[in-house]
Amino acid sequence: MSRVRLDTIRECFEGVIPAIIGTADADGMPNVSYLTQVQYIDPQHIALSYQFFNKTRANILGSRQARLMVISPLTAAQYLLTLEFLRTETSGSLFESMKAKLSGIASQVGMSGVFQLLGSDVYRVTDMVCLQGAQLPAPPPPLNRLAELRNSAERLRECRELDRLFDETLNCLNEKFGIAHAMLLMHEAPARLYTVASRGYAESGVGSEIALGEGVIGVAARERTPIRISHMTSEYGYSRAIRSQTADAQALEIPLPGLAESRSQMAVPILGCSRLMGILYVESPQDLRFTYDDEDALVTLCAQLAMQMHILQEAEPETAQQPPVPAPAPEGAPLLVRHFTGNDSVFFGDDYLIKGVAGAVLWRLVQDYVQQGRSSFSNRELRLDARLRLPDVNDNLEARLVLLARRLAERGAGIAIEKTGRGHFRLDVQRPLQLQEVA
Amino acid sequence: MSLPATAAPLLDADQIAFVRGGVSISVATCGSGGLPQLVRGIGCRAADDGSLFTVFVPEPKSQQIQRDIFANGAIAVAFTKPSTHRTLQLKSREARVTALTPADVALVHAYRDAFVAELAAIGMREELVRTLLAAADEELVGLSFRPSDAFTQTPGPKAGQPLKAGE
Repeated sequence: MSRVRLDTIRECFEGVIPAIIGTADADGMPNVSYLTQVQYIDPQHIALSYQFFNKTRANILGSRQARLMVISPLTAAQYLLTLEFLRTETSGSLFESMKAKLSGIASQVGMSGVFQLLGSDVYRVTDMVCLQGAQLPAPPPPLNRLAELRNSAERLRECRELDRLFDETLNCLNEKFGIAHAMLLMHEAPARLYTVASRGYAESGVGSEIALGEGVIGVAARERTPIRISHMTSEYGYSRAIRSQTADAQALEIPLPGLAESRSQMAVPILGCSRLMGILYVESPQDLRFTYDDEDALVTLCAQLAMQMHILQEAEPETAQQPPVPAPAPEGAPLLVRHFTGNDSVFFGDDYLIKGVAGAVLWRLVQDYVQQGRSSFSNRELRLDARLRLPDVNDNLEARLVLLARRLAERGAGIAIEKTGRGHFRLDVQRPLQLQEVA
Repeated sequence: MSLPATAAPLLDADQIAFVRGGVSISVATCGSGGLPQLVRGIGCRAADDGSLFTVFVPEPKSQQIQRDIFANGAIAVAFTKPSTHRTLQLKSREARVTALTPADVALVHAYRDAFVAELAAIGMREELVRTLLAAADEELVGLSFRPSDAFTQTPGPKAGQPLKAGE
């Protein structure tokens, strides 16, 4: 095994103490410079941010070798790395992840607009030496992430329902990893994500949406790569200004939950094979809250989550459909349910509830309820219903039903969805419904 | 490329005060095969007229640096103030390894205090900074040089250009 094990010194790459790079020109004149960003790639590779064409870069392009000094912020140990320059990347997951991180660094040090990532320079590290000298004893780690990860994976494995799985994921983050602010978003092809669960916010934000490419979450989704930012930055925030131009648009906007002053953010894709299923997003009011180890733990947890989501969404039993059971007619003030066919948005009176596929599903349920007196439904019949226009594969129907059930519960308007078994649920209606279709 | 004795100084009085202060000091040399070597400096003595600089480094961490200097004399030293990112770099091809005087040792002690204070202002704990700069007095050596070139290296469009007065 190589004696270069960068994975054992990753705290040096968190940007707490700037790294120093030494290069030399063809005449043997050295150059020394401070580096804003060193990105760990794997035990033998790192990437450095290329921001300006300067002497360092000219020397590297000439000699293709450099020496790097990194310092542990825990022990003050100094490591000398010998670098061999391989290539520059100007797009893709490494570049986007470094660009996002640099945005946080730039904002932190008052260099927004000055620090701009032109490329990610990838190096092989051919030697790694710890300089002899004084060191502080390493503090004990705040937790054993591997042990907590195992425990969390076991808890996710035990979940038999999708909504339970979402909640348990956020419970594990809070209880096992001390991550109190988190949200889960599901991918709606082609280019949107919607929130199905959250923790640690005044409003749950369930049903709120975000576009691929927008902010930390959207970039992580678009690039299918974790994005981790260790300082506050406005560049990766979520602008809702454009979409809130009209009163109608505002009515359709459920605010995305989030901390007002988020100083550390991480978005991790939930990938089933290479398919984007969703995003797990965590944040903290603390700078430098999430480390490389946290990133590893959450990526691995998301792999378990993806597998469990896949199993639960596929494993629908082929049971016979329940015969419709007429429900007793409720009494009280009627609830006006309006459906706008253009975007399948559903309003209770003047209050926006939901749109898209979940809106279409709800509209179908209340129609069947009012016209046929039905209150028992199965996921299977929804899948087969041409009116809902669900995609043939990977329809995420269960995730949409979780979203719909949560929106209904939060609204408390007298309509609820209750699961009655695997793949079956009941529409619980407490008030007479008055339906209105709006073209 | 040694400077004639009459050459104008590369650094103005403020820049000389800057390199004497609580700033981060990094040294690079170039070994055979063009591979650079690095060490952190622990203080700097600067002549009032800016003609001669001596950077102090721990001997155990700078053995290859000293060999490179014996071999070719080339040195680059960057000074940066972490709180402002103001950075300048000096270069020379005539560096020498020198011994410290008692006054130099006092400079090193004062430098540590100044750098600790600078970093405390941006939240770095003293214990960490002192460990980073730890070296027994008798272990220190000086790297002395007359700079042939000076560059500004503060992040921004001027980075890498020859240092001008007032920068």
